[in-house]
Amino acid sequence: MKETKKRHPLVNVREPNLLEGTFPYSLPPLIHFEGPAVEYIDGKAVEFDFAAVKDRDILITDTTFRDGQQARPPYTIDQMVHLYDLMSRLGGPNGVIRQTEFFLYTKNDRETLDRCRALGHKYPECTGWIRAIKGDFRLVREAGLKETGILTSCSDYHIFHKLRFRSRAECMDSYCEVVEAAFEAGVRPRCHLEDVTRADIGGFVLPFIDRLMEMSSRVPEELSAKIRLCDTMGFGISYPGAALPRSIPKLIYKLNHECGVPSDRLEWHGHNDFHKVHANAATAWLYGCGFVNTTLFGFGERTGNPPLESAILEYIALKGDLCGIDTMAITELADYMRSIGLPIPDNYPFVGKAFNTTRAGIHADGLRRDEQIYNIFDTEKLLGRPPRVAITDKSGTDGLVHWVNEFFGLKGEERINKIKMHRLARWVIDQYDEHGRLTAISDQELEAKTKELLPDYWQKFKGG
Amino acid sequence: MATVEERIKAVTARVLKLDPDEIKPEHSFTVDLGAESVQSVELVAMFEEEFGIEMDEDAALSVETVGNAVEFIADVCKQQGVEVEQ
Repeated sequence: MKETKKRHPLVNVREPNLLEGTFPYSLPPLIHFEGPAVEYIDGKAVEFDFAAVKDRDILITDTTFRDGQQARPPYTIDQMVHLYDLMSRLGGPNGVIRQTEFFLYTKNDRETLDRCRALGHKYPECTGWIRAIKGDFRLVREAGLKETGILTSCSDYHIFHKLRFRSRAECMDSYCEVVEAAFEAGVRPRCHLEDVTRADIGGFVLPFIDRLMEMSSRVPEELSAKIRLCDTMGFGISYPGAALPRSIPKLIYKLNHECGVPSDRLEWHGHNDFHKVHANAATAWLYGCGFVNTTLFGFGERTGNPPLESAILEYIALKGDLCGIDTMAITELADYMRSIGLPIPDNYPFVGKAFNTTRAGIHADGLRRDEQIYNIFDTEKLLGRPPRVAITDKSGTDGLVHWVNEFFGLKGEERINKIKMHRLARWVIDQYDEHGRLTAISDQELEAKTKELLPDYWQKFKGG
Repeated sequence: MATVEERIKAVTARVLKLDPDEIKPEHSFTVDLGAESVQSVELVAMFEEEFGIEMDEDAALSVETVGNAVEFIADVCKQQGVEVEQ
């Protein structure tokens, strides 16, 4: 057996230590840091002070109407205006959701933009998205937008195989011509470095950024180029020690500190091909990106993008405060998305129909004793979604007790105990043991049975 | 009038579908008599009905054996002024 290196005496207490400094329940669990993170870059140890994120400007941008819409049939204008309205409420008056981007190509695209702006919201600011074609700036100018995204793909997969340039130099010159055209048009370019996590960082990306920074130094600050790091295939890695081009820490450090791109001009755009999308976006914030680009419920090209609502909750966890965010709008957005046909899986975090629904009897027993035992935070207060129990033969009588008391809205001493529910509990078990049922019992069925088998309580709490 | 023990055995036999003569004071409701979770709740509910008493849920459900149930219920009856045959 390995020799013990350090002994850890039990700290015996009679009152529980619920670690409320980290798990306040009224907010999502907070994220505290104990010291700097260290990344070895070009052989040198570089420290990153993650705790500074509490006071540093980090913000969310949205691409629900651009990347999000490339993954589904088009939204109607009314739908987009309603989503924009709710998104503005969600991000709050401080503009935590700072920008959202729109296509500009069709009559519908332009009408959507006009109607969203007509709502008069300060945030999210509306920006555009165009191809890297000089003539397209006419669209941006006509729409009266100050900023637009342009495609500046940077892996050799894209440079040579997709865009068919004959050399990197030809490609870079072409991109820079478009950036120059943006400056001339008085439009701020946001260069989307497509496929950056599969690119030659030293051989193309950094030289290109150097050139963009040099070009930006000749124009007013408000026109200077922004950089969006597009992890197009979801190859980005958050772990310290990972190598370029996949290392998010190294990529951001090099742009931030070697090329001098300030954090407020640096944005991360991820994809979820390897289930890393949200953690990668949060990593980008911590290592120096000012913005993470998201879509509602992560709905975007292929496997999707960082979910906007997850970024919102991460933001609160890092800042330790709601900062004007209206989290209830998350549930409204999900309900609206479902109503217009967007499928949200039942187990999807924060908004799935069953995200805080337990089916196991032992968990239901915990919920009965104290909802904090099995609820991630006060989901009723923050999302309008109290914890639920789905009733099956595995829910146990504790599950049923939780369901019935929640249905009648009873708390504390008023709660009905399981002894009083024995007939209802027997009915549930018989559904499975006697009738061979294989599905969960719906709320409607349980309501009907509650009325039949607990008539006195029904009369008292439902009034007949 | 039947004793507390006889009445408890009769209720237990009815709920668990057993022969009352096979039920012994030392029998555990769950281990020996096979009471499942919902049956334990039914047993407590039926004891309440049989004796006309109300029992504390957690205390009643923590009673393990038939003999312990006899003592527990006799005690509750006494506290709640219900006369029973010992």
